[in-house]
Amino acid sequence: MTDPTHIRNFSIIAHIDHGKSTLSDRVLELTGTVASRDMQEQLLDSMDIERERGITIKSQAVRVEYTADDGEVYQLNLIDTPGHVDFTYEVSRSLAACEGAVLVVDATQGVEAQTVANAMLAMNADLEIIPLINKIDLPAAEPDRVRAEIEDGLAIPADDAVLASGKTGVGVHDMLEAVVYNIPAPTGDANAPLRALIFDSYFDAYRGVVALVRVVDGSMKKGDKIRMLATNAEALVEEVGARRPAETPLPALSVGEVGYLVTGLKDVSNVKVGDTITSVVGGVNEPLPGYREVKPMVFTGLFPIDGDQYEPLKEALEKLSLNDPALIWEPETSHALGFGFRVGFLGLLHMEVIKERLEREFGLDLLATAPSVEYHIYKTNGEMISLHSPQEMPDPGEIERVEEPYLKAKILIPPDYVGAVMDLTVQRRGTFVTMNYLSPTTVEMLWEIPLSELIMDYFDKLKSNTKGYASLDYEFDGYKPSKLVKLDILLSGKPIDALSFIVHRDKAYDRGRVLCDKLKEIIPRQMFEVPIQAAIGGRVLARQTVKAKRKDVLAKCYGGDISRKRKLLEKQKAGKKRMKSIGNVEVPQEAFMAILKVDE
Amino acid sequence: MSHDSYRALYIHIPFCVSRCNYCDFTTQALDSASPVIDEYVEQLVLQIRKKAKEGELSKIDTVYIGGGTPSYIGSSRLSMLLYTLSLSLRLEPDVECSMEANPESIDERLIRDIWALGVNRLSIGVQSFDDDVLAILGRAHSGLDAQRAIEYAQERLDNISVDLIAGIPGQSVESFAKSVQKAIDLGVKHISVYPLTIEPHTPFYKQVMRGELPEVDEDDQARHMEIAEKLLVEQGFERYEVASYAKPGYVCKHNCAYWTGLPYLGLGRSAATMTQNASRRMRIQDGQVTDDLNKAQMYAEDIMLRMRMSAGVADTLVAQAADELPQIYEVLASLEDRGFIEHTDNAWRPTELGWLCGNELYGDIFDLAP
Repeated sequence: MTDPTHIRNFSIIAHIDHGKSTLSDRVLELTGTVASRDMQEQLLDSMDIERERGITIKSQAVRVEYTADDGEVYQLNLIDTPGHVDFTYEVSRSLAACEGAVLVVDATQGVEAQTVANAMLAMNADLEIIPLINKIDLPAAEPDRVRAEIEDGLAIPADDAVLASGKTGVGVHDMLEAVVYNIPAPTGDANAPLRALIFDSYFDAYRGVVALVRVVDGSMKKGDKIRMLATNAEALVEEVGARRPAETPLPALSVGEVGYLVTGLKDVSNVKVGDTITSVVGGVNEPLPGYREVKPMVFTGLFPIDGDQYEPLKEALEKLSLNDPALIWEPETSHALGFGFRVGFLGLLHMEVIKERLEREFGLDLLATAPSVEYHIYKTNGEMISLHSPQEMPDPGEIERVEEPYLKAKILIPPDYVGAVMDLTVQRRGTFVTMNYLSPTTVEMLWEIPLSELIMDYFDKLKSNTKGYASLDYEFDGYKPSKLVKLDILLSGKPIDALSFIVHRDKAYDRGRVLCDKLKEIIPRQMFEVPIQAAIGGRVLARQTVKAKRKDVLAKCYGGDISRKRKLLEKQKAGKKRMKSIGNVEVPQEAFMAILKVDE
Repeated sequence: MSHDSYRALYIHIPFCVSRCNYCDFTTQALDSASPVIDEYVEQLVLQIRKKAKEGELSKIDTVYIGGGTPSYIGSSRLSMLLYTLSLSLRLEPDVECSMEANPESIDERLIRDIWALGVNRLSIGVQSFDDDVLAILGRAHSGLDAQRAIEYAQERLDNISVDLIAGIPGQSVESFAKSVQKAIDLGVKHISVYPLTIEPHTPFYKQVMRGELPEVDEDDQARHMEIAEKLLVEQGFERYEVASYAKPGYVCKHNCAYWTGLPYLGLGRSAATMTQNASRRMRIQDGQVTDDLNKAQMYAEDIMLRMRMSAGVADTLVAQAADELPQIYEVLASLEDRGFIEHTDNAWRPTELGWLCGNELYGDIFDLAP
């Protein structure tokens, strides 16, 4: 057992791409935890997708031994947090396992929306914050400006901010010294009953559910019987240990320590992020604060392109949800697309990552319908239904009112772009709340905006309308009534359920018209004419026509042309495989996402 | 592998006076006096001699000298080449010997020389008789040059073909129809009508990407192809293949070899060779095997290629193929239902729709043995 006075638990927090993972790697290197020849870029991001996209999706905790300048050896637990707004709750739980945080700000980019959001989370968790200005090796680095932004915008003293470069390793030693001297040692009662916070959990096929935990009071060891307070699940501790970063079993995890715990449980939903672990015998009933149920915000229909892949898709979803309690799904049947699933996600990134993993790790060809949110439909008979799919929308006559989820959005931009953000966000039904100057070069705008608008390429538009300067953070703000209608898309006169979507009444006409135009471009010519219509109920708002194919033959076919022609026919065949036959119309996958790309 | 005798010989001449805007063929613009061309022709001569010694040329029924622009390399090099051919294979009048030529490099002397050395069919790259359209294509000749070239050629040769391009952005229906009519009026015996395709790495492609040239309009192309068929059929031509029209007796035997599965030998840069026996077919280009087909794939390919021709696919061939392609009858029935083919006189033949939307038709047959 390490004396708590020689333990430091901390996180590194940052806006995406500000260099958090690279800094973490340098810590492992500098402390000799991983020999540099074994270093793989961004070691803590274990999934391929994480490494490729340069983002962190799951939390990680690694323990390093650091001999400080005072000659003492400290146990440092570095908790790497997810770097995306979809995972704010996970971040908040990871932070709750720490006493301090290193706030990384890019020396060229300055303070951005997630810098603010993460700093707020860290302050709310009462963490000691060590500002660190990263990437100072870049020619465009402006440490003085960034220091001013941290002080003015975040009210964090930044005179002593560590100047560092994850790339060259400069300043990493200073950072660790600051961690040892500025971050408080964990407090807690070694003799009190066990209380430990779960800040991540995942399913391991060989050992069952593994949890990453922070021991707040007491201790736990192999053989202890434990209970999760929120889920009431009980388990036997099969192993405890720390990651260095390879898992190393330990005799016990005691007060103040961070480590992993093997439960042998089969269902990850028994071991939820934010829940409290205690002993079955002599345990507590009072959970640690801050637990909440994670609820999916964005829903989409996932359908196998090849109907035979329905069962494999189901198995793949089962496997992924073992590891991801935020992923929920239920069977969905579409007339157009056949059997599939309606899947709920924390946000758009979560959705993209899951879809990519399903396709890549499980070899599935999937078709995703446009993402939707959870609408609350209050029916005239007093019943309320939660609508995840536009298909389930009741008849307009049965609807008393519809409510949709709203977000509080925080946008950080240079002052020049206030107008551009104003135009875009108002157009997306946003309501302006207020605006503050964080510094002469950074404005913070607060908005209320429907989630359904945000998931329609809002962020892409925001980025492009502000030359990439804008950064965005948001949190759920509750349900509000809206005038929403279901817009149907008809191909050859037949409504295509998978293309229908819910839209504000005032926007239905424009969206319908633009979508018809867009679909006309996307749907290739067929052997017959295909009319495309947008309609509400029986009322057609817009129409376009994909003309019948007139000619596709390529004339020359001599000698070597024949080989080329074979390749072309192979390509044509592959192209057809990526399309979905709806009725007798071949519809490419992009069609189902077209609604997201609708420019008005 | 032991292989059936080659029946057709193709010789590629990859040189031109300049590269046209639509061209993605294997050719290069080179000064006609360049020693590179001499070297290339010498190599061809050696290869022809070698193949003759190996006995590969004993069953050749058709010869085709294509390009590039064979006429561009001039009389003396062509004479050397043709003389070698006449020593190496049976170059009698019943053996079809075609050569490609462009109007700007045709003169009386060239015609006389190649005629004397055995060329009995000339395919002239006219493309259009409209000077505005020729300028868009980047051709090196005018409409009048083309007319004169045809007239020179006709002094010695009876079997003259011209190529025309349809559906060029900026080409009106009238302009296209006038070119077709002009070719008919000049008395050529064979006309090929190719809808323009814009290939990657061509100047046209770059122009389209930059928005300087409108994309090819498939409706225009279909309309042009229909007009060509109407004019030509009315005036005594038979459409014997998707893009090929001939007066009776003037079908291009060499091209038919490609579409009826006869083995061919290609000499010169990028020329394709097809070697086969009863159970295997390979195509080779520049020493690389581009296709290696089994028996089922051979049948599917033969049927697919024959569906380009008005002669179509005889019931006897279908019956033979059925052993290897058990689904053939089902697929033919489905194609008939959808209007791509029809059954007349003991053969399946493409309909007008089957000609215009051939890729749908060929794709289904290709899928029988991909």
